[in-house]
Amino acid sequence: MEKMGIPLGKTSLEMGNRIFRAALGGITVLFSGLLIWSVLSLLLMPEGEEIIESALSSEMIYSVQLSLMTSLLSVIIVMFLAVCIGYVLARFHFPGHHLLRTIVDLPMAFPELVLGLCLLLLFGHGPLGDWLKGMGIHVVFSKWAIVIAQVFTAAPYAIRVVYGTFRGISPRYELVARSLGCSQMKAFLRVSVPMARGGIFAAAVIAFARCMGCFGTVLILAGGTRMYTETLPITLYLNISYGNLAMAMTSGIILISISLAAIIVFEMLNNEVVL
Amino acid sequence: MTDILSVQELSVDLGEFSLKDVSFGVPEGSYCCLLGASGAGKSVLLETIMGGFYPEKGKVFLRGKDVTSWPPEKRKLGIIFQDYMLFPHLNVFENIAFGLKGKGITRVEYEEKVRQISTQLHIQDLLHRDISTLSGGEQQRTALARALITKPEILLMDEAFSALDLLSREKMRKLVRSTIKELGITVLHVTHDSEDVWALADQVAVIHEGKLLQHGTPEEVFCCPRPGYVAGLVGARNVLRGRVEECDDMGNSVIETQGECIYSAGNWLLKGSEVISSVRPEDIMVAREEMAISSRNQIRVTITDTERRGPLVWLTGTHGKLHLHAVVTVSSYESLELDPGSEAVFIFKARAVQILEGSSGRSVDLPSSIPDCVSVEDI
Repeated sequence: MEKMGIPLGKTSLEMGNRIFRAALGGITVLFSGLLIWSVLSLLLMPEGEEIIESALSSEMIYSVQLSLMTSLLSVIIVMFLAVCIGYVLARFHFPGHHLLRTIVDLPMAFPELVLGLCLLLLFGHGPLGDWLKGMGIHVVFSKWAIVIAQVFTAAPYAIRVVYGTFRGISPRYELVARSLGCSQMKAFLRVSVPMARGGIFAAAVIAFARCMGCFGTVLILAGGTRMYTETLPITLYLNISYGNLAMAMTSGIILISISLAAIIVFEMLNNEVVL
Repeated sequence: MTDILSVQELSVDLGEFSLKDVSFGVPEGSYCCLLGASGAGKSVLLETIMGGFYPEKGKVFLRGKDVTSWPPEKRKLGIIFQDYMLFPHLNVFENIAFGLKGKGITRVEYEEKVRQISTQLHIQDLLHRDISTLSGGEQQRTALARALITKPEILLMDEAFSALDLLSREKMRKLVRSTIKELGITVLHVTHDSEDVWALADQVAVIHEGKLLQHGTPEEVFCCPRPGYVAGLVGARNVLRGRVEECDDMGNSVIETQGECIYSAGNWLLKGSEVISSVRPEDIMVAREEMAISSRNQIRVTITDTERRGPLVWLTGTHGKLHLHAVVTVSSYESLELDPGSEAVFIFKARAVQILEGSSGRSVDLPSSIPDCVSVEDI
């Protein structure tokens, strides 16, 4: 600065720091404000009576019930997979470890529609789909397809959280447990899993929110059939298409409420999770 | 005494840490310390013995059986880590009783066992406390109780006292010593603290950069450390390289080092041989003038450096090319006025000179007459 003929005094330093802080603060406030505005606009737009009427309609009740049931089943499957795969990734070192991590993370980077298309090909006309059909199991455009779509969409998120949690737990705890007579499986069940319970629960919350909000994958694999494979996001999509704004907004409000609750629970547990 | 544990040419490569061809044995009932600085490979060695890592080469034997491929739960070893690794989801009682569950004993029996060991380790009032509410010393005792309750054949301790303050550390050493003695358990204790060795060990192995450098009793290792790393680690500060000018068959000799003559006794050296000797700083007495006493080594030096360490002052005295370190109390330092630049005399007995390397051996090993040796009187 001195070469440029401007002495770098205390005042100019303070001024520079203030501008930097103000710029960062401004960006944060602007974006947060827009986000809150968009959510509030959804909550404030419809009339109260319309919302209640829509919420009590048979279509909405069916949609909420189906979403809850499929999401709960999916979360159970997702968490089983996440605990197993997260533990394998965190504890075992083997050739292709990084590749497996990348593969597991892939669906996170995929657009949901593309993931849905991949699953449609796998369960529709591929060898697996044909084999399932031979067994009398028709996955595509059924309620099972909703569960499969939700599992594949939510699993990478849950695996990531569980993997981070297990990585944060020293393997020496398990070595101590094994020195006390536990087999590897007992050490896992009696020590690692209880110690990771915060992260596992947080992963389940995230997975549940992802399952409830899963749209593109469900639409492609299960089809958006009214009152059959109609989950909450499908209700929103179908009713927007019909021009029924109140129903669409009601399903939006229910989805946002579930997401908010999930985020709050996740944040409460976040201290125990090492991502 | 037979070795309950022995490792043979053990090599482990974990990238950051590795072991290279480590071999040693731990006699049954002994307390063996593995001494080394941080990153020396001590913990890797301990975890390999425990079964946490599989070695690339070499074998681990327990009571003569090759257990290299055994899983940790079959080895009957107990382990205590520096940060204790108490299970945070269990309370003190549940932590201690962890190893007893599923062993076919009733709740009444294992409650009695927990009560016994917790009383022995003075934690009987903490049994229903959460782990997070315990002090470092309490956690240490809980970890010890948890490891001892299953009666392991060998207890492995990894820097077990490092996280404790000085006072707690001394208390724990006493408690560990008495408990281990009472139970008759063999211990392999990894440490970087030579005080642990002096306080607890009857065997010590020095490890550096994954290699075992010296193994023996604490007296052997501390009084006659191998030159170089071991000598530095165990505090052999005055390491002198010289040549034996004179010697006799009584084990007395004169060593020329840095232009000075050092008198040595009890070391059977060969005339003309090159030796590396050492004098421990605490074996050097400091005076202002030469004294009419039996100690033959009286070297006039100029104090070139002083460093206060707690109640002691470390002095560096220089005579020509010879640099010697001595240690005195603060009161001696003040009364003798040993400031840098002042003159002093460093006095030490011929028997205080330890031979770290050179042609030496006990008199019984030497022939009755040694050629080229002359008598050195009154050393």
